[in-house]
Amino acid sequence: MKVKVNDVELDLEPGTSAIDAVFAAGYDVPYFCSQEYMSPIGACRMCLGKVGAPRKDRETNDWIRDAETGEPQIFYFPNLMATCTTAIMDGMVIDTLSKEVRQAQSGMMEFHLINHPLDCPVCDKGGACELQDRAYEYGAGTSRFEFDKRHQEKHHALSELITLDRERCIHCKRCVRYFEEVPGDEVLDFIERGGHTYIGTVDEGLPSYFTGNITDICPVGALLDATSRFRGRNWEYDHTRTVSLDDASGAAIMVDARTGRIERVKGARNTQVNLDWIDDSTRFGHEYVDAPDRLKTPLIRKGALLEPASWEEAAQFIASRLAVAGKRVGVAVRSDATLEEGVAAKALAEHLRGHAEHFPRPAASVIAENPATFTDVATSDAIFVVGDPTEEVPTLDLRIKDALRGVAPPELLAHGVPIADLRLKERMPRKRSILTVAAPYRTNLMRHAGQELIYPAGQEEDLFGGVGSGKAGASLAAEQLNQLKSALSDAKKPVIILGAFVLASAAATRAAEALAESVGAKVMKLGPMANSYGLEALEVTSDGGYADLLTQSDVLILSNLNPAQDVQIGERLRNLDLLIVHDSFETETTGLAHVVLPAKTGYEKEGTVVNLEGRFLNVYPAPVDSGTSEDFIGVVRTLGEALGVRLDGRSVRSARRSLAKTLNHDLAALPEEGLLAPVDAKEIGETVADTVAGNLLLTSSLLKVDRLRRNPKLRAAHGDVALRVNPADAEAQNLEAGANVTVNIGGVARSATIKITEDAPEGLMLLPATFDQALGLTSAEIVPAADLVSA
Amino acid sequence: MSVLDIAKGMGVTLSHLFKKPVTVSYPEQKVDIKARFRGRHHLLRHPNGLEKCIGCSLCAAACPAYCIYVEAAENDPANPTSPGERYAKIYEINMLRCIFCGFCEEACPTGAVVLGHEFELADFKYKDFTYGKDDMLVGTVGSKWQRREADRLEKPVELGFKAGQRVELEGVDY
Repeated sequence: MKVKVNDVELDLEPGTSAIDAVFAAGYDVPYFCSQEYMSPIGACRMCLGKVGAPRKDRETNDWIRDAETGEPQIFYFPNLMATCTTAIMDGMVIDTLSKEVRQAQSGMMEFHLINHPLDCPVCDKGGACELQDRAYEYGAGTSRFEFDKRHQEKHHALSELITLDRERCIHCKRCVRYFEEVPGDEVLDFIERGGHTYIGTVDEGLPSYFTGNITDICPVGALLDATSRFRGRNWEYDHTRTVSLDDASGAAIMVDARTGRIERVKGARNTQVNLDWIDDSTRFGHEYVDAPDRLKTPLIRKGALLEPASWEEAAQFIASRLAVAGKRVGVAVRSDATLEEGVAAKALAEHLRGHAEHFPRPAASVIAENPATFTDVATSDAIFVVGDPTEEVPTLDLRIKDALRGVAPPELLAHGVPIADLRLKERMPRKRSILTVAAPYRTNLMRHAGQELIYPAGQEEDLFGGVGSGKAGASLAAEQLNQLKSALSDAKKPVIILGAFVLASAAATRAAEALAESVGAKVMKLGPMANSYGLEALEVTSDGGYADLLTQSDVLILSNLNPAQDVQIGERLRNLDLLIVHDSFETETTGLAHVVLPAKTGYEKEGTVVNLEGRFLNVYPAPVDSGTSEDFIGVVRTLGEALGVRLDGRSVRSARRSLAKTLNHDLAALPEEGLLAPVDAKEIGETVADTVAGNLLLTSSLLKVDRLRRNPKLRAAHGDVALRVNPADAEAQNLEAGANVTVNIGGVARSATIKITEDAPEGLMLLPATFDQALGLTSAEIVPAADLVSA
Repeated sequence: MSVLDIAKGMGVTLSHLFKKPVTVSYPEQKVDIKARFRGRHHLLRHPNGLEKCIGCSLCAAACPAYCIYVEAAENDPANPTSPGERYAKIYEINMLRCIFCGFCEEACPTGAVVLGHEFELADFKYKDFTYGKDDMLVGTVGSKWQRREADRLEKPVELGFKAGQRVELEGVDY
């Protein structure tokens, strides 16, 4: 379709909005209410333009032509149009530069500023505020409004995490639309009308896992991140665009640090992964990085005490002990270690003739045969989820909801993502029937599913067998499973998503893959951590797995792992010749270690991770003051120097050189959306025999229970670690809601607060696992927490 | 050049011999400085005692020498430090870096930071040149060294200048 914007002629696809035509032509109009991934509604009326189009004569079917020039005559709309809600027409003419248009825009700007308090100096949005920028560019500079402005609540805590300033709100409705359109949790709305309108909620707090995104999309300083309140001005932050290492999605984030502290994390755009959205744990769960008890210097055991030392001393100590220690060496890193750290771990293990391993690593491979990307999920017409993606990979939860809207991700234009995608509507009907969610308990995503299947925990193999064969299985009726199978086989782009409970059993995963092959579905496997995929592809694995590594080594080098959380394992670790622990905080395991080395967190590392699609993403370090902390590369470099060898992975560059040989990609400076290069699935040693009985299910949690203690704001908003119990069980076991209990799982004692909910099925309690606990069924004993007052 | 020109030049020199000398024997004698002289900064208060500074950091943004560091915090509504929600928890100026250009004063939306007349800032240690809120809030007279010296001698701070009052310096009394 030919469109003329001012003096630029363009050829655009039908259905494009006029505002995108303007931007594609290189011109600019102000706007506040449009957002790339939400419906355009024309609420702010800022994007006004003079719009016209030629008309056809019905009789001759030719353009009505100007009598003098013979050109098709342009019929202008009687009023200026909001270009964000206007679709382009053939021959359309858009004028954004005339005096009439500029005057209308500055008039609208004056209206927006009538009730805006102009307290920019104290507003956290100041300096990065759309209203401020647009008022400067398009405003008149003065106001004719001589009366008192509207006065409303200045700092209303919508939740522990989000502050609302009602005076600053300009009623663009982005936040209200966001909750309905993106996570589907309708928790905010406009209350009252006209000049009295304000944003509010009837709930206590904001019951959603994706609330923080409204602070990113708010065009003014009305909705603000409470964790970074008054911490710094926008121009003072050091912005680092990196990738979240909290889960396997590889969501893009912007880390804002000031004077060596992380003050806030914002969502960044990755058009292939998270669009603009991140979950609350990724956004607000960064406070632990600056916790006062962070380890900042190496510690060496002298008798019963660990004493601070320099890295050189620590390395010398290790080198001297290695010379006399036994020869069975184990090196294990947590699965959010970067690829480069994986190379370092392998090189160190090889040099010491030991084994390298990563943990947590499920029994089955996390690399799928026929892998689905996030875009595949978002454009799928039949999705079968087994697991709890909301807790495991929150980004996926939102992308599944994208698929329910039935609108494929937009094609990029000259200026990037279209600003107003006219296919998106407010309160769109959702195709819930395409989504089937199966889990051993009621999950969050089931509220959006056409079919929900709750099966007994541990029976994933039967579930897939049942769907494949059409026979009843996993306590589910044959009819339900048949319906699911036919939905999957009839669909053009079916996707099967395998969560942690499936991957915990190699047999169940095989059954799932057989089903996927028979219905022609793509498979997405939810690896437990940020780089599970990459570390498996790199084969940082050993035959016996992590459990054998812990029991059959004389020397253990652990990075960010805490096996001694289990007192029985802790007893064994006491007898090691040498235990080196690389961690950011003191844990049970550092308590037993001979040497403790301070570790960088995921925000401070440089490297590469591979997300669950097989997408290589660069991680960049934010300027955080963490003393002499190093990542595992630093550990290997220092140890290599002490041992007098130059190991692969002694620096990011050397690790990348080594990786380039096996991967054929140069990992330095990958594009922002990453490099999608899935590797072939490999046979990996199957470990652990599957447990099939138990009274407790260890689940994943997006809140990351290990860090929750050091994330006070997140903890205040979402509560302590909850042990979810079915009401019937609670009554049978005499458990009271809100009571603190200790849950003994093998040698691990976990404290939790009882939450009585129908989400938990009868006979099964749910507890979020720590990083060092394998997910799945287990047996537990509930003991009331010792009364602190009497003790 | 003629003898006449030399005589003319010497004449100028000679005429100054009979004028009043401009030399001030500082520090025995006080310097007379202009009202708009730019010396050490003052942080002012409103008449009700609340600090004018709201911790907006605009002074730091305007500073060409990057000598200002501000960290803001939220006011306790029951016991506020400044009007509104925000106040400066930390306000520091590195006087060694400061070029006394007065841009901070121009940038300040509340008129909280104003350059006063004090110029006797010499000291012995680098760290003593970083002036915090306590060193600049209205009521504090003299540089860090002058106040240390006054404490030692148990005498009030004696400033080496006299100047005309400036309206912007609300509440500052030299």
